Order: sequence, then C-alpha cells, then structure tokens
Amino acid sequence: MIRAYRALFVAGIQQAAQYRIQYTLYVLFSVIRPIIFLAAWAAVATGQGGRVGDFTAEDFAGYYIALTIVIHLTTAWNSLEFELEVRQGRLSPKLLRPLHPLHYSVVENIIWKVTTLPPLVAVLALIAWTFGARFATTPLHLVLFVPSIVLAAALRFLAGWCVASLAFWFTRIQTANTLFDRTAFIFAGSIAPISLLPPILQTAAYVMPFGYMLFVPAEILRGGVTASVALLLIGGQVLWLAATFALLRVVWRAGVRTYSSVGA
Amino acid sequence: MRYLRLWRLFALTELQFELAYRVNFVLGFVEMFLVVGTSIAAVLVLFSHTTALNGWSLDQMLVLLGVYYLIQGVVNLVLTPSFERLMEHVRLGTLDFLLLKPVNAQFLVSTRHLRVVRGMDLLLGVAVLLVGLSRMDDQLGLGAAFLFVLTLGLGLVAVYAMLLALVTLSFWFVRVENLLAIFWAFTDAGRFPVDIYPGWLRLTLSTVVPIGIAVTAPAEAVVGSLTVGTFALLAAGTAVAFGFAAWFWRRGLRSYTGASA
Repeated sequence: MIRAYRALFVAGIQQAAQYRIQYTLYVLFSVIRPIIFLAAWAAVATGQGGRVGDFTAEDFAGYYIALTIVIHLTTAWNSLEFELEVRQGRLSPKLLRPLHPLHYSVVENIIWKVTTLPPLVAVLALIAWTFGARFATTPLHLVLFVPSIVLAAALRFLAGWCVASLAFWFTRIQTANTLFDRTAFIFAGSIAPISLLPPILQTAAYVMPFGYMLFVPAEILRGGVTASVALLLIGGQVLWLAATFALLRVVWRAGVRTYSSVGA
Repeated sequence: MRYLRLWRLFALTELQFELAYRVNFVLGFVEMFLVVGTSIAAVLVLFSHTTALNGWSLDQMLVLLGVYYLIQGVVNLVLTPSFERLMEHVRLGTLDFLLLKPVNAQFLVSTRHLRVVRGMDLLLGVAVLLVGLSRMDDQLGLGAAFLFVLTLGLGLVAVYAMLLALVTLSFWFVRVENLLAIFWAFTDAGRFPVDIYPGWLRLTLSTVVPIGIAVTAPAEAVVGSLTVGTFALLAAGTAVAFGFAAWFWRRGLRSYTGASA
C-alpha cells in the first residue's frame, strides 16, 4: 500500500508541475468569494459602530482568512469528475485495478493542496494587511486545529463522494451537487460565522454536517472559541465523520452493483 | 432589422435543441432557483444585523441583486455559450464556415448560440428587481427609469466588450479558458455595491473587470444616488472598451489562419 502511494505521488507531482500557472490562477480565484463577504461584513461592522455581535471588522478579517485556509485545505472536487467517469464508462478500467478508486483521488487531492499553498499564503497576507486582520489564536488552539482540520477534510471528502455516488443511479447529478453546494453556502459559515446566523438557522447549522467542514476548524484557527467548546465541536466532527463513512459504505456497495458502464 | 430577425431564428433553433432534453431543462431551472434563493438569504442574514450596508437599505440591495442577476442572465444566456463555441471554432479551424456567411462576423460569433435555461437568471433578476422596487417608498420617476435603462445598457456593453477582447486572445493563445476564469471569479463580487471593497479591488471591479460598476451604476440610478462622476466614468469607459474590443477583434481575425492553412 505504501509503495503504491509513493508511486502515485511521484506521478502526480510530475503531472502537477506541467500546469503551474493554471494551478496558481485557480488558487487566486478561490480567495475572491471569502473577500466578498469579508468586505460586506466589515462594512456592516463599521456601520454599526465597530462591531456585530462579538465580531469587530478585524475579527471578521481574521475569520475569513482562517476560513479561506480551511476551504483550501479541505477542498475535494474529485466527486465532480466522478459523474463523467460513470457516464462515459471511464470508471471501468479503474475498477479493474487492485486499488480502490478512492486512493487515486486522495493522492491527487493532497498534491494539489501542497503545491498551491505558497501562492495562497502570499495573497492572504496581502488581505490580512488590507483589512488589519486580528487573531486570538493561542498555541493550544493550534494544537486543537490539527485534528479538527484533518476531520473536516475527511468529512468533506467523504460527503462529496456520497453525493457523487448518486451518479450510479442517475446520469446527471449536477442538481444534487448544486443543492449540496448551496446548502453548504448558507450553513457552513461562508456567508457569516455560524454564531451570527439568525437563531433558527444557527440551530440548524449546528445539527447539519456543513458547519463541521468549514466553520469549526476556522473558528479554532482564529481562536474564536474556548478550548472546551473547541473540544465539543471536534466531538461533533467525529460523530458526523463516522455517520458519513457508514453511509458511504452502504451507498458505494449498492452503487457498484448497479453500475453498468456505458457501452458495456 | 435583419439582425433582429436572424437572432430570433438563432434563439428558436437553440430552444428546440434544448427542449429535446426536458428533464435537463427543468433541473436547470431548479438549480437557478437554488442559487438565487440562497443569495437572497445571504443578504437577509447580513441585514438581520443592520439596516444599511454602506448606505444601501435592504430594498435597495434587492434592486442591486436584481440588476446583478439580470446582467449575469444576459451573459450566461447569450455571450458565454456563443464565445465558448467561438474558442472551439478557432482551435479546430472551423471558424472558416462562420466567416464565409454573409453577415457581420462579430455579430455572428457573439450571438449565434444560446443556453435558454440560463435565461432563468434573467427572469429571476427582473423578479428580484421588481420586489425591491415595490418595497421602496418613493415612486420611480421617469427620469430615473430612463437613467436606469441607459446605465444598464452601457454596463452590458462594457461587460460584452471585455469578454470579446478576452475571447479574441484565443487567436494567439490556446488556453484562454484560464483568463475567462478570472472574469468569472471577479463576477461574483458584483453582488454587493462596489463601494464596500478596499481600494485595489474596487479599482479592478470598475475598470479591468467592469462587472462591479456595471451592476452598481444602474442600481444607483434607481435609488437616486448616481453621481455625474460615476455616470461619466461608465459612459466613457464603455465607449473606449467597445471601440477597443471591436478593433482588437478585427486585428485578431486578420491573424486567424484557418483550418488547413
């Protein structure tokens, strides 16, 4: 297994090196949406005499920068390609190989994140300077951030695969993807830190898995929650990860049985 | 007149084409509802903490969001599908067939294809705009309405000019999709008034990627806060951009070498 992974990594990095500029550009785009909402909240905070709830304009900057880092580290897009692979039958050769198709995705994913981190950090530094971002992060927060980001990445990755598995039954799953993305847009902490959502939405956000993918690690990285609350939230991440994993196993097994590649 | 008739013909054939996949068509509508609905929800969340965003009230923000989706609608309905096809034609060399047709080539490549499903953006945009307008206290005067139509038209032309110039680059470079991706990323920023952004971003959104000013100016016209300066900037910028894009397009066409050349 380790040998297989090493081989995949070497091949993947060689591939990535071919498209350096493209990779860098994609990173720069991923920053724009968080800045949009950061600018909006900063404007609200300034208009309200400096703060909204517990957040000042500088706290918003810290939050959205942390969020951008978390989004980057937890991104999983492989499920989007999966629809094509099923529809065009490209999944067939992959199923014949001794490795589960998931492993190829894992490697591809990690390589992308590592190679694109430097330009991302450079852009974020510029934004932090523009908005005067403030962090309340302590060393303890950083320690807690490690398990939290790993859990969040795993959760987002597996949840994406659950949605993608629908492609076994339906040839077009883009609507399901949109539904997933837009629900996450509201509840994961992109439009506002969850603690600033109206009460009903806030409760919903803590029950649903989306906040555990982005908001939780971002708040921990910013130092916006106390250690005990952070532990509680990490517990929530563990629960949702276990549930998602169980769901994916069931769905995947049933799906592969239904799969008949196009043209076969 | 002839061009309008031609365009109607394009629209009808494309509609027939798309209606062949009915479920796809309906699902496309569902997706647009989701996207616009959640965008409005995001604005409502912002306004649950404030009554004004940099001087924009909720009703005025709805007007702005309506304009945003209106412009997006036009871009997604006509420009994106047509320009995507154009880049494909350049790459494959099949642009020859279009150039041989007895119409203005720029008109043909800009309007030939439509994605009717995405016209939903446009309809939803108009709906949001009307809701915002109906909630505003004072009636919309004739002058404001005229200014609105004028600035909206100018904004659309500015966005069109930028896209045309970008796509024209495909005569020299193979992968222009990356540059278009820059445009899409910045487009997102148009959903808020351009004045909330820090200096460098605001400048980008009013000049290089004119989506910010294209959305904000018409909304300001309705709200009544459009200044002469903004209007002049938009008008002059649009004229320059359109002139440049048309010139650049002809320049690019001259260096097009065709399929078998």
